[in-house]
Amino acid sequence: MVQDFRELPKLRDSWTYLYVEHCKVDREDKAIAIHDADGRVPVPCANLALLMIGPGTSITHAAISTLAECGCSVLWTGEQGVRVYAQGVGETRSSSSLLRQVAVYSDPEAHMRMVFKLYAMRFPEPLPEGITLQQLRGREGVRVREAYAQASRETGVPWTGRSYDRTKWSDADPVNRALSAANSCLYGLCHAAIVSLGYSPALGFIHTGRQLSFVYDIADLYKVGTTIPAAFAAVASGEMPVETTVRKMCRDNFVRMRLLARIVEDLESLFGHDESTAEPCDTHDPAVPGALWDPRAGQLQGGHNYADPGAGEESKL
Amino acid sequence: MIVMVLERVPVSLRGELTRWMLEIKAGVFVGSPSALVRDKLWERACRYARDGGCIMAWNTNNEQGFDVRLAGDCRRMIVDFEGLRLVRIP
Repeated sequence: MVQDFRELPKLRDSWTYLYVEHCKVDREDKAIAIHDADGRVPVPCANLALLMIGPGTSITHAAISTLAECGCSVLWTGEQGVRVYAQGVGETRSSSSLLRQVAVYSDPEAHMRMVFKLYAMRFPEPLPEGITLQQLRGREGVRVREAYAQASRETGVPWTGRSYDRTKWSDADPVNRALSAANSCLYGLCHAAIVSLGYSPALGFIHTGRQLSFVYDIADLYKVGTTIPAAFAAVASGEMPVETTVRKMCRDNFVRMRLLARIVEDLESLFGHDESTAEPCDTHDPAVPGALWDPRAGQLQGGHNYADPGAGEESKL
Repeated sequence: MIVMVLERVPVSLRGELTRWMLEIKAGVFVGSPSALVRDKLWERACRYARDGGCIMAWNTNNEQGFDVRLAGDCRRMIVDFEGLRLVRIP
């Protein structure tokens, strides 16, 4: 058990992702290792943000509990994209981030301000005064369409639009397959960052109604700079399989733009939260229940019996 | 910074490396020569190692912050996982 969470490397310093398939992942002397026909490969999992598990992989109970302790997210992904996300309890024990997210989510004005903030982050120029949400959506549509068109022009890979059928994966054109593989990587990293900082992946502001709405909100900030150019470049390179090539190219793009550090900084600025002044969560025992809510006092000490002395004695009469 | 580990190599090779680096333990060298010298030392180590093994790790500007290369009989191998380099133990 990792006793002190400050020992864990901060997410911003982590390696982004590791994708494995057709192997067995098991615990190996307190860490984890990948076993295949040629031997074993130890994985420094406390240094990793995301482990992506592809087809033909089996993973043991001990490995999953080690990954959870290290704050490494796990996602099962296959030809049809992502199946399951799994994470430990994140690297924070405090719920302050989540409570702040809920407060912004449930206050209509703050919610609207957050939507505008999320859109404003995507455009280099400041938004004009009095722009409406509808106009913003239109601008965003133009921005994304232009990104696809530009990537297509630069690589010579034709672009006929985003289309794929989840049931017939191999029928999609290579660039759409590459985009799906790249996006599952990006979603996984955004998911890992959101969970690691203690926010909820489900409470989105622009997107709504899905368990991963907030992941889509955050991932959309980076697609134009990472997965879209990587997907077109991967197809243009002609290296097969396109899924492997695109993940390699995504890694380069993620490193170039310091993606993990960026996500952390962006989340902090969105919620006006600064990690350096955040109160540390005072307990190293994740099983401690914490405080009790009180409408007047705010918080009462938990783990304390509030019964009056002598109450409940009647039954003994 | 560079770290080199040499196993079962001629003494003369180790002696030569101490011109550039510190031998902090038998066969383990640390130093910070330039990239050019680094590559020359690697060439030289590979050429004179005979049946021994050479390992070199140096810091570089990639995701992991370092890169590694192995030569000769080290029993371990570097495997590339889509740009993330890990070690395979047979």
